[in-house]
Amino acid sequence: MTTKEPFQQLKDRFGVEASDDRVVTAGAAGALCLVATAILFLLGSQFTAIPLAGFLFTVGYGLWNHQATTAKALTFLATIATGAILALITVYLISEALPAMREMGLSMFTEASAPMWRTRGEEVYSLVPMMWGTLVTTILAMLIAGPLGVAGALFISEIAPDAVREIVKPAVETLAGIPSIVYGFIGFTILNDYMMENLELPTSGSLVIVGLVVGLMSLPTVVSVAEDAIASVPESMKSGSLALGTTDWQTIKSITIPAAFSGVSAAVLLGVGRAVGETMAATVILGHAQRLPDPLYDVFGNTETLTSLIASQYGVASGTHMSALFAAGVVLFVSVTVLSIGSQYIERRMKHQLQGES
Amino acid sequence: MSGETASRTAAPGIDTFDRVALGIVGTAIVTFLLGWTTLFDRTSPDTAVAGLSLFALFGAAFLLAGAGLIAAGIASNVGLFETTADQYTGLGTGVAFGVVGFATGGLVTTILFGVGATGSVLVGLVVALIATLGVAVLPEDIGTTLPVGLLALTWGVLLVAGFVDVGWVWDPPSIKATFHAPIVVPLVTIALSLLVAWSGAIVAEEFGSQGRQNGAYLMIGLNAFGMIAVLLLLILFVVRKGLPKLLEGAQFGPGLNISVPFLTKGVVLGQQYNGIFPAIVGTVWLVIGAVVLAIPMGIGAAVFLTEYAEQGRFTAVIETATNALWSTPSIVYGLFGYAFLVPRFGNRNSLLAGMMVLGFMLLPLVVITSREAIKSVPDEYRDASAALGVNQWQTIRSVVLPAAMPGVVTGVILGVGRIAGETAPILLVTSGQPFPARAPSILGSFRFTAAPPFVQNEALLQASSALPYQLYAVITAGVGQEEAFGWGTALVLLMVVLGFYAIGITSRIYFRKKLNQ
Repeated sequence: MTTKEPFQQLKDRFGVEASDDRVVTAGAAGALCLVATAILFLLGSQFTAIPLAGFLFTVGYGLWNHQATTAKALTFLATIATGAILALITVYLISEALPAMREMGLSMFTEASAPMWRTRGEEVYSLVPMMWGTLVTTILAMLIAGPLGVAGALFISEIAPDAVREIVKPAVETLAGIPSIVYGFIGFTILNDYMMENLELPTSGSLVIVGLVVGLMSLPTVVSVAEDAIASVPESMKSGSLALGTTDWQTIKSITIPAAFSGVSAAVLLGVGRAVGETMAATVILGHAQRLPDPLYDVFGNTETLTSLIASQYGVASGTHMSALFAAGVVLFVSVTVLSIGSQYIERRMKHQLQGES
Repeated sequence: MSGETASRTAAPGIDTFDRVALGIVGTAIVTFLLGWTTLFDRTSPDTAVAGLSLFALFGAAFLLAGAGLIAAGIASNVGLFETTADQYTGLGTGVAFGVVGFATGGLVTTILFGVGATGSVLVGLVVALIATLGVAVLPEDIGTTLPVGLLALTWGVLLVAGFVDVGWVWDPPSIKATFHAPIVVPLVTIALSLLVAWSGAIVAEEFGSQGRQNGAYLMIGLNAFGMIAVLLLLILFVVRKGLPKLLEGAQFGPGLNISVPFLTKGVVLGQQYNGIFPAIVGTVWLVIGAVVLAIPMGIGAAVFLTEYAEQGRFTAVIETATNALWSTPSIVYGLFGYAFLVPRFGNRNSLLAGMMVLGFMLLPLVVITSREAIKSVPDEYRDASAALGVNQWQTIRSVVLPAAMPGVVTGVILGVGRIAGETAPILLVTSGQPFPARAPSILGSFRFTAAPPFVQNEALLQASSALPYQLYAVITAGVGQEEAFGWGTALVLLMVVLGFYAIGITSRIYFRKKLNQ
């Protein structure tokens, strides 16, 4: 944060009249205290409480005497803080991951010959098996969540009678609320045993079970977001088609789905993001083998995903090993953020187009 | 669906035609459901009805359905019944059959000839191409019935003639799994039942656009039904598994004297009934902390973004950042807390770090839902208030926020339900001893000191348990910890989370009803 021309900036930002010097002074004092709090907290100082108290005092004074300005300043601070959290996450994740990346170089993301993951002295960290595991489980999950999710969204927004919709919609939302660890527990106790018993798997845990469970878990995300997209297709477009004598299904197929296509794909992308980041189900179900399955397409094999790697090893890790776990976190964070931004871009473009057409 | 009355009266036999089609759909739905119950060992493959084993019964059903479908298709095609079938099946249906053809062709080649992955994929592609093009150019009444009918007939013959019986095994060399008939037969039966039901539904509306609508709606409806079934089964399953443990040693009455040791006790060696009280308290404090942090900040940010800020680059950046935060995986939040918060709170796992991390996770959701709610407050409200000569902040405080409150509350409750079940971040920043004996006492641990930091609360800086972590601990503890303890915990966790969801959804319905009055 720069403190150049704080007076003028504050005045401009909050529309304070130049003569009202007491507000500016109080604002400046508050801002100074907040900056000091932030810096001391970042340094890990035990004196953080002093400027924090000063800040709270200033806020109290402001709310008492200049409520409107203070409220506006506080909402502005909350907005900045939201952005700051994302920035902090990025900075801390990357800075913690750098040592491992520096030591392993590019081979951290490309090395595909054994041994790929060795801790305790040998220090070999290649994320390739985990990236493959994440990719395979995500593909499996989206094979389930993609088509079923879009079909569910169509049902809720276009097909279901009102009474049925009032049941199905909350049910789907509730499905999103079931904690991942509960899914994981069911997978661990029931499905893993089932697979070992009925498919004679040599080890407990397999990618296919993780894919199934994660698919089920990302299904509600796809349904809700796709439903929003489908519902945002203007009624006039649909009635135009129906007036030509088409059936409802023909209208859905040739008008609604094409018009909502980009929004629906944004929904699927968000679902992919959920599936990539799903942690506990994978951690609990998988058998934690940091090597590639052999052959690569053996979905009944055991490997590791990026998320389960972190969750299962953070407790025993230190030094470069811990840093390598952070590198896994960086891969996750970057891919999910790219997916999120991509889907937002698609959504915005779709809204733009629909508004232009209608 | 009344457009077909004309053709219906024209052909007198059409009632029989429809009845056959509905019979086929009904049969397919029965085999579909039986397939699932067999897959989960609820129906034994050894079940025998009238001397026929379960698999032979499946086979007989498919023989009948397949024959019926083919007969109906041909009857319609040669003009025995007047239907509304199109001249061509079309590429859409063709591609769907291409996918079916790919799976069938590929699997059959590997199973019969032991061809490797590349070979079977190639064969699958060839079959898919033929199926796609072949079906696409066939007349609709043949294209939608004949391929499904043939598949059903083949499967029926395989089952009835005993080529695939209970002892059938396929052990692919390159994959670790071995496939036995009790798994394979139900799976194939489920998939084929769907195809048959779809085709039957098309026949039942005499093909054409109505037929296609009927087929598609049946599939989409089944999908929705399936989602509800999954939800109910999951909840019922956890309740059935967890209830005995939850009620272990519980006493009800006389009067209000209720004691449920599983909910009110910790884990102490030698105690008769161990419980999860510390974890419940931990979760409650985590949720309270997260809410206290996230709600003022989130609503504040939403107010600024919607009411004060000019819509431009700044709001767009913050909006993108909020959405990115919303989709950031929970384990990444955990890593962040581990690197950023834990070193600053005495270098050990603490309740406070968990509260903050969960608060950060809740924040984007509060911002997003509050923005939606504030945006949906009509501008007339603001104008009317401004016309009274009130300044902007007073308008926001007394008009906009109260009007937006229902939406905000609903969103927040649903968000809280979500973070109450989060495990990964707690694992990294809060978790301590897996089976604690005592709950953290936050209120009783405030100490005021003369030296900085003036206010101390030891309990906030101590590691704590939480319901989802407790469940994880049962899993990692492996031998020694009984599984029933885990099911009991899972049930309590599910009740807490679903309770939040029930309140959130009910309040939304209530507010919406009130708004529509």
